Amino acid sequence: MKQSKFILTTIYLSLILVALTIGDLCFGSINLFSLETTDPLFSTILFDIRLPKTLTCILAGSGLALCGLLMQSLFRNPLAGPYVLGVSSGSSLFVAIATMLISSIQVSGFHFMGKSIVTLFSIAGAFLVTLVILIISKKNKSNITILLVGLMLGQILGAVQALIEYTSSANNLKTFVIWGMGSVGSTTLQDLFFVIPIYAIAITSSFYFIKPLNAILLNEQYAQNLGIDVNNLRLSIIIITAILVGLITAFCGPIAFVGISVPIASRLFFKTSHHLHQIVFCLIIGACVLLSADFICQLLSNQFLLPINTVTTLIGSPVVIYLLFKSKFSIG
Amino acid sequence: MIDIKHLEVGYREKRKNISVFKNINLTLHAGNLIGLMGDNGIGKSTFLKTLTGNLAPLSGEIVLNSTNINNYSTQQLAQLLSIVITEKVGGFNLTVWDVVASGRTPYISIFGKLNAEDEGIVNSSLQQLNLEPLRDKLIDALSDGQRQKVMIAKSLAQQTPIIVLDEPTAFLDYTSKHLLFDTLKKLCVEQNKLIIVSSHDIDLMKQYITKSITMTAENKLEVF
Repeated sequence: MKQSKFILTTIYLSLILVALTIGDLCFGSINLFSLETTDPLFSTILFDIRLPKTLTCILAGSGLALCGLLMQSLFRNPLAGPYVLGVSSGSSLFVAIATMLISSIQVSGFHFMGKSIVTLFSIAGAFLVTLVILIISKKNKSNITILLVGLMLGQILGAVQALIEYTSSANNLKTFVIWGMGSVGSTTLQDLFFVIPIYAIAITSSFYFIKPLNAILLNEQYAQNLGIDVNNLRLSIIIITAILVGLITAFCGPIAFVGISVPIASRLFFKTSHHLHQIVFCLIIGACVLLSADFICQLLSNQFLLPINTVTTLIGSPVVIYLLFKSKFSIG
Repeated sequence: MIDIKHLEVGYREKRKNISVFKNINLTLHAGNLIGLMGDNGIGKSTFLKTLTGNLAPLSGEIVLNSTNINNYSTQQLAQLLSIVITEKVGGFNLTVWDVVASGRTPYISIFGKLNAEDEGIVNSSLQQLNLEPLRDKLIDALSDGQRQKVMIAKSLAQQTPIIVLDEPTAFLDYTSKHLLFDTLKKLCVEQNKLIIVSSHDIDLMKQYITKSITMTAENKLEVF
């Protein structure tokens, strides 16, 4: 992809992102334009409800899409992604454990301390699962094995989580089930002040791995011969994805689909293998996808918030299947 | 250029080492096209992997330009020695240009951007193997022979004095095999490179190589 085309595409995609952001901010059960800007209700709706939700969509969507891209390149497997490989399940389980611990020592689960502990647990869960997958992928190079192990791991972790849920109180259980459906609506501006710096560091650092990621697309032996420290690359990518997935899962629940499908769609649309291009595209498209999903959620129902997972999966999956049928070559 | 002393190659397992081939002593000089022969499973690939720093030697040492190979960083080694292996490359929108350009990896910044000089080198590498018409094609759309050429062009773009090729003729037709060895021979003579090739096409290879190394079942090296 030529430099000029890359810049132009980035501008186009950014415009779509801006449009969706404005749309998401303005659209909702209460028409903002019917209110005076001096009305306290106006600022409450805009700054306390819609702005955090819109920002969460952008951060979670772009973060998950980036994780998917990094994992797919690292494993050289287009089916890799935080949800498929069980990383999100690892986060979920650890969030469940953290929530149980917090509620058992009689601390409110939703004040700031509680949330940061949950987040740390969530990141640890994501890190552990990715590490296990990586160790297995070093012993067994087959893509199918890695995928199956990821799926099994997800099932095991899910089962353990179900056990925990079975023994938990009705109140905790309800929180869990709703959280498990994925939601972008429970993040506050205060949470975001805590999340954004960590998110920014993780995203920025991914740009330092453009060259090694490009090289590892050939295969590990070639990458090493091209002067890439493959072990260092692996560890760095694991840390970046664990932090992002952990962070996002702690605040929004395990969001399906975005991580795996955005990089696939991006590769099918924009025929480039260069990671500078793909990272930028995935970040923007990921944010757009989640913003659209949130937009559709509100369009479908004014009374209650639909779980975002339902929408991402229902609308996104057919699009990817269509793209796959249309494409001439293998996506991987 | 390369001095191999009492080299033992093989694999390290948890408790014991699995030795594949022992007591390799060789001196290889620039400007030579070296043919490596031996039956399947004798240890040609293991030897080549060790030679290129991908596997650690079980014992002995490999000295490259009077420095032990272990004392080079991955980055330095990448500018001295390039490989062409049998494992297929493809997918992820990789085009011929992308793969050949990856040969510039040891020389470019972390953001992976090629400057005009790098692009010139990639273009001339493509030219040398007559790959210009294919430059924007996806690797997945190429024949096996074309893929092999692309990997050799990648090695050329890497501009290393040493190139190691593990069975590059395996998927090629008769004409392509000759063309390949023609090219390799030319590189040795014109650019004074040291090229090491393993192959089962012994008769064909013997028309081109300057030195042959045969690994035998009795753990002997026959050098001619």
